Amino acid sequence: MSQRRFARSLAIRHLVCGSCNGCELEMNALAAPQYDISQEGWSIVASPRHADLITVTGPMTEAMRLAARRTLEATAEPVVVVAVGDCASGEGTWCGAGSAGAGAGQELKASIVVRGCPPTPDALREGLRAAATLLDERNS
Amino acid sequence: MYRERTVPLSELPAALDEAMHGALPLGCYATNRTVRTLLLSNVGVLALRTPLSVGEAWESLASRYPLFAYHEREMRALQGIELRSSPDLRPLYFRADAIPEAIIAEGKGVSVVVVGPVHAGIIEPGRFTMSTGGESVVHLDAQLSYSHRALEPWFEGRDALALAPQVARICGNCSVARSWAYARAIEGLAGIELDEGTEYARLILAEMERVHVHLFDLGNIAAGAGYGKATTAALGLRERINQLNHAVSGHRLLFDSIVPGGVRAGTLSDPASTRAILREIRDDIVRFTDAFFARRSVLRRLDGAGIVEESLARRFGAVGPSARASGIACDVRALAPYGAYRGVAFSEERASAGDVYARSDLRRREIERSFDLLDRALRELDIAALPMPAEIAAPPAGVITTVVEGARGAESLSLSLGSDGRVERLHVISAAYRNWPLVTRAMEGNIVPDFPLVNKSFNLCYSCVDR
Repeated sequence: MSQRRFARSLAIRHLVCGSCNGCELEMNALAAPQYDISQEGWSIVASPRHADLITVTGPMTEAMRLAARRTLEATAEPVVVVAVGDCASGEGTWCGAGSAGAGAGQELKASIVVRGCPPTPDALREGLRAAATLLDERNS
Repeated sequence: MYRERTVPLSELPAALDEAMHGALPLGCYATNRTVRTLLLSNVGVLALRTPLSVGEAWESLASRYPLFAYHEREMRALQGIELRSSPDLRPLYFRADAIPEAIIAEGKGVSVVVVGPVHAGIIEPGRFTMSTGGESVVHLDAQLSYSHRALEPWFEGRDALALAPQVARICGNCSVARSWAYARAIEGLAGIELDEGTEYARLILAEMERVHVHLFDLGNIAAGAGYGKATTAALGLRERINQLNHAVSGHRLLFDSIVPGGVRAGTLSDPASTRAILREIRDDIVRFTDAFFARRSVLRRLDGAGIVEESLARRFGAVGPSARASGIACDVRALAPYGAYRGVAFSEERASAGDVYARSDLRRREIERSFDLLDRALRELDIAALPMPAEIAAPPAGVITTVVEGARGAESLSLSLGSDGRVERLHVISAAYRNWPLVTRAMEGNIVPDFPLVNKSFNLCYSCVDR
């Protein structure tokens, strides 16, 4: 719980890889006044070039695989990937179903996993705080 | 009620013309080589059943009725049905190494802007290719299917009674509506009638879903208009509904609250306090919308943007708020009432301008109607007992389609069961599926910076479209 940890801002690029949109509804809730992630210095950015963190949802789909890889490649190192939700973590309803993959976070080698179907905003905030700490370590 | 009529392919166009009078076309789908064309009217769902013989191609309906174009492409992709005279033979699904090329306008001064499939906000994936002349959009091509997981083939052969959690997760926006449609399909095949308390509880859950989705839409429309304060306010109000959702169902988005046979045990255990909390939230929502719709600079952005004419909405078979804002009566709660809607004499909201303002204002009014319904149903539920879900033995073999009104419009679910209670076919026609073509047409002649605004005035799902 260092000062430094809370001083870290996060530029987040959100990547949807076959999610049901439930995780997105909860990610969006983070901007509600009850959570207000802007107070933490966190923002959702319009390009992977601006990002130092990728949040990813869904089991991964055939059609998204290339765009997902390119998004990650376009982000400057060090970058932290956060698997948001059960599907991205590899344990969700649609992992391995139909043509879906085994979890987008698994494929993109996520360092942080936030479980839930979908995760609550509180769980997301905790996961992002852990990601900020990890980024700090990788940057130092 | 669900009825089927067998119509040979050669007689289908005439039969369809006749059946369309006074009915809402839902689309068509195939089970192996049998195609069902679905319509909804005040007597329920009518399926025109057309078996195709071996090697027989489907004579496309899309030239005459463009609303069938997506459905026919899907039958081709998933059931391998050959299409004849189709105006659009592009593959519906694709792999990342073979993404279909967008249709773009050609001509002097035309330039092309592409966004997606990964976007600047927290939204689902789609690629939008705008052909522009100066700032104006000449043509918009929407490439969906990035979320395609081939879920419908996966359902086949599985135990229908065990699939409710999966059905609830086809799309997070329409979860309650789809769970309700699925429960009704199974109960319809099993011949189960539900008690009044359960029906009121389902109505309450469905209206709470509508309120949180509509509030989110209004917040997104505000964002599209550059009015950040209203976006934050709408998200704050939605959050209060999500917290109440959790209190009444154990889930912030109400997943799994409606199950075949009833509602999950423990749901809505304290109707009186739920009603009191909703009254407080309602007052704050009215204060918010009154302020939002009084803001002249915002109204200037909403007025006249992204117009959809009624005739266009009809040709594409639009449903839900997107269609009602263009004057089309299509609210399933009024057209073909089900569950507790049968007893509440619901009358639907409509507008005529078909622009972003109309779609926004319609949501504001629909939220108020939802609160009316919630207040009444919670009062009824306070008196009625809410029983445990009915035990369903293996439902008998059969085919059925049920339709409910979700936040985006008519949500249709078709289920074919074999004699062992296993799924032969589970097909979803989501309201968003019906409405996507409108978004592309609504943008024509509008300026590029209005794309987020126009798009969010529909705010359609991808997940239940792509499946």
